[in-house]
Amino acid sequence: MRTSIRARLAAAGAVVGLLLSSAAPAVAPVAAADHLILRAGTDQDLQVLNPFSSILVVDFEVFTLNYDLLVNFGADLEPVPGFADSWEVSADGLTWTFHIREGMKWSDGTPATSEDALYTFQLILDATEKSNASEDGFYLGAGYLEGYHTNAGVIGATAPDPQTLVVETEFASQLLLQAYVPILPKHVWSSYTLEEIGSAEGAEPFLNEPPIVGTGPYQVVEWKPGEFIRYARNPEYWGENGAADEVILLTFESADTMVQALKTGDVDYVRGIQPEQFEALQSEPDIQVVEGISNGYSQIAFNTYSRGPIEGGGASTTALQDPAFRDALAWAIDQAKLVEVTLGGHGAPGDTNVPPYHTLWHVSPDKPRTFDLEEAKRRLDAAGYTLNAEGKRLDKEGKPIVLRVTWPDSEAENATNAQFIQEWWSQIGVGVDAFVTEEGKLLEDLLPPEGGGVANFDIELWGWVGDADPTSLLNVLRSEEIGSFSDSFWENDRYDELFLLQRAEGDATKRFEYIKEMQNVFYDEAPYIILYYDAELHAYRTDKFSNWSLQPSKGGTPLFGYGSIGYTKLTDANAVPTPGPTSAGGPTAAPTPAPSGDGAPSGGGDQTTTLLVVGAAVVGVVAFLLLRRRRSATEEE
Amino acid sequence: MAGSFILRRIGVALATIAAIVLLNFVLFRLMPGSPERVILHGTPRVTPEILEATRERWGLNDPLLPIVIDQSGISFAAENQFTKYLAATVQGDLGYSFVARGQTVGAVLAQRIWPTVLLFGLGEIIAIAAGLALGAYSGWRRGGPIDFVGNGVSLLLYATPYFLLGMVLLMLFGVALRWFPIFGMQTAGATYDGPIEQLLDLGSHLVLPVATVALGLIGQYAIVMRSSIVETLSEDYITTARAMGLREGRILRGHAVPNALLPTVSLVAINLGYVVAGAITVEVVFSWPGLGTLTVEALQARDYPVLQGVFLLLSISVVVANLLADLIYGLLDPRVRT
Repeated sequence: MRTSIRARLAAAGAVVGLLLSSAAPAVAPVAAADHLILRAGTDQDLQVLNPFSSILVVDFEVFTLNYDLLVNFGADLEPVPGFADSWEVSADGLTWTFHIREGMKWSDGTPATSEDALYTFQLILDATEKSNASEDGFYLGAGYLEGYHTNAGVIGATAPDPQTLVVETEFASQLLLQAYVPILPKHVWSSYTLEEIGSAEGAEPFLNEPPIVGTGPYQVVEWKPGEFIRYARNPEYWGENGAADEVILLTFESADTMVQALKTGDVDYVRGIQPEQFEALQSEPDIQVVEGISNGYSQIAFNTYSRGPIEGGGASTTALQDPAFRDALAWAIDQAKLVEVTLGGHGAPGDTNVPPYHTLWHVSPDKPRTFDLEEAKRRLDAAGYTLNAEGKRLDKEGKPIVLRVTWPDSEAENATNAQFIQEWWSQIGVGVDAFVTEEGKLLEDLLPPEGGGVANFDIELWGWVGDADPTSLLNVLRSEEIGSFSDSFWENDRYDELFLLQRAEGDATKRFEYIKEMQNVFYDEAPYIILYYDAELHAYRTDKFSNWSLQPSKGGTPLFGYGSIGYTKLTDANAVPTPGPTSAGGPTAAPTPAPSGDGAPSGGGDQTTTLLVVGAAVVGVVAFLLLRRRRSATEEE
Repeated sequence: MAGSFILRRIGVALATIAAIVLLNFVLFRLMPGSPERVILHGTPRVTPEILEATRERWGLNDPLLPIVIDQSGISFAAENQFTKYLAATVQGDLGYSFVARGQTVGAVLAQRIWPTVLLFGLGEIIAIAAGLALGAYSGWRRGGPIDFVGNGVSLLLYATPYFLLGMVLLMLFGVALRWFPIFGMQTAGATYDGPIEQLLDLGSHLVLPVATVALGLIGQYAIVMRSSIVETLSEDYITTARAMGLREGRILRGHAVPNALLPTVSLVAINLGYVVAGAITVEVVFSWPGLGTLTVEALQARDYPVLQGVFLLLSISVVVANLLADLIYGLLDPRVRT
């Protein structure tokens, strides 16, 4: 019922809107009309400009406009030219040669060469070395970017000439092409130390304040923390130019206000809206809603720890180690129902651990399960989990099974999921004790002995968000990750083997076969049950910009994807007589400019203002006269 | 006598601040989950060694308090978390933000404090002026049309939560009428011809949030002022004044209002604490880049150092406001200066 106030407000607003629909645009000053500004609103805060400090989606969005990756992402996340315009790998898969675009310049006019790429690679190598040597957990800022090079096995780089970068890797891997690492200008960054760039304790941190120098399509020129980041077009940009002369990313704490700003035309794009706002926006003129699928999933994770009992912790029953038991429980979960109730119908029922977002890699399982409580009972019986006199399932030790189900307090929607699961599983005789855990505490509870904890849980409900490449999502279920990423402690030799094979495979068809088999092994063994793939609800205006293109091309969103492609494809909706939206299928742009915040105040607004001012004055005068009379009357008393 | 009154009040305020500093220390160490996990939250590949190194670096392996009581008896620990915290806090060092990497809590707070001061300073001033005037007039003309309407509106405003009031104003004057901008402190990307235009832009962005704050407070102030005036008007000295033939206006301004002001002064001061709570919702509705939105962001991101800084700042400001109220009270009513 968290929607009720919002819905009522919206209804009240609609009534007020009807009453006052003769209103005029805002009085705020704006730039000249021929200067096109794209304003995109997000529910995330804008906190950092140093790419190494990036944590949130919006942080990554911020730096991918400023900088090029060595290899950028295409419409379906495939590798496309970035800082390098071509590349090849040696026969053994260990040596990569990247050819840097000729004549490319940084936004300040300095030539951009392989020296800059080398500087960036060396920075990360140095950071990794420092981290390994000191064992004090040194990270470059948030520590998210080094992994893109270390996971790709990068061990060295050289720049034999200004147009060539050679990278040596420890093992054959395709991941280097998916590295989300911005190539930085050596002539700016080399005046700062590793500690300053990495915001290390005791060092004066390098915040990378504007104006930023990069090779990307737009460069940050103004930063108001907590408010907005403003970009100007990079005059030196080598690629396709988007129609926007400026891009402004704005942060909104209230999704309601953000949606209203979209309606008034004060913003052109919004990310992170609520399902009920999504429905309401569908009928708005000049607004197109987009339901993209998110690059991640929400799961039930089982504590399958099987390396012996853990003192003071561990799962409450050995049944969780049995794939047949987990499989049976999965038959007793109605994923479609959870999508309908928990996600308000926006999202998709889950199956494998590679979300459909990865259009090139996702497969549906070969042996799919359905929601069938009778089948679940049959499978539990067949696997030897019998019912006792009270109708409770017993584990192999003869103990009634009561599973502790928990979730972090940061994910309130899992309370709904837990309620449904409790109800369904009670019908097959499996007890559920559901409770919420504070996130920091849960992170601790999930640690196995290898990570310094006691893995004190049975089932947790949480989620993962992926990279442009499925490797990171595949990685969390490797046995090697027990003690760091793995929160199910699942061990499967075939899965581990396939992981290494797919990582090294350069041939996309062969790699697909490996990833497909991994998804099936995962699905059949069910260390996780993927509840659903969440939706990304976005919306944009069609009266200012057109040619909003989706990434990925099926089920994606126009902005806040990977790289700057969505921004560079935009065209001016009012300049082109025959606009053709590519894949969004949204309404075409109106030929006449719709009223928005960019216009001068119209006569209607002035009249309304005048009327109100006059009205207020009249009321004031009358009141004054009335009171005057009363006062003299009182004084006569 | 007046001097000792002021000193005593300042002493009480300082003691309160000391208690707050202590509470701030204890509160954040009672949070569930270990701090090193929170510090490293979002950092991939955390091994037990890194956890241990982080504990060491952030001083989490030191004892909490200077006095350690264990099996071996009572001992004194020179290296302890409380002494370090106390020394750093006194020096104004509030540590580093977990989220805004590389920025100190002080720097993060400094960016956000002035928008809030501006918004609530203006809102409070308008509310005090309008609320007290409305209340005084309603009380003086009890039963009149202004009293009737004013009291009704005051009650309504008093009962309306800030976010609802803010949303109504936003929908009405921002979305439907398009008179005022609905978010932010300035038009992002605007180019100004001069400082006056820039000031006007800030002014137009201020209207709706300030109106929300002011309207939310006017109701309370008017109601209290009204009842206070009504009570004062029944006092003997008012009757005496009337008997002496003083004009009504003079009685109100010279005798009734100054005496009736006393309860409202303490209300305004006590209110400051609630105002800050209200700040969060008003700022969230209008995307105002102040302490309110910062608090929400820090809560969502579990940025404990920033939260600790916000708590400290807000509680100290409430204490200071109360101190000021005490002092003003002393000026207004000599009887309390004992």
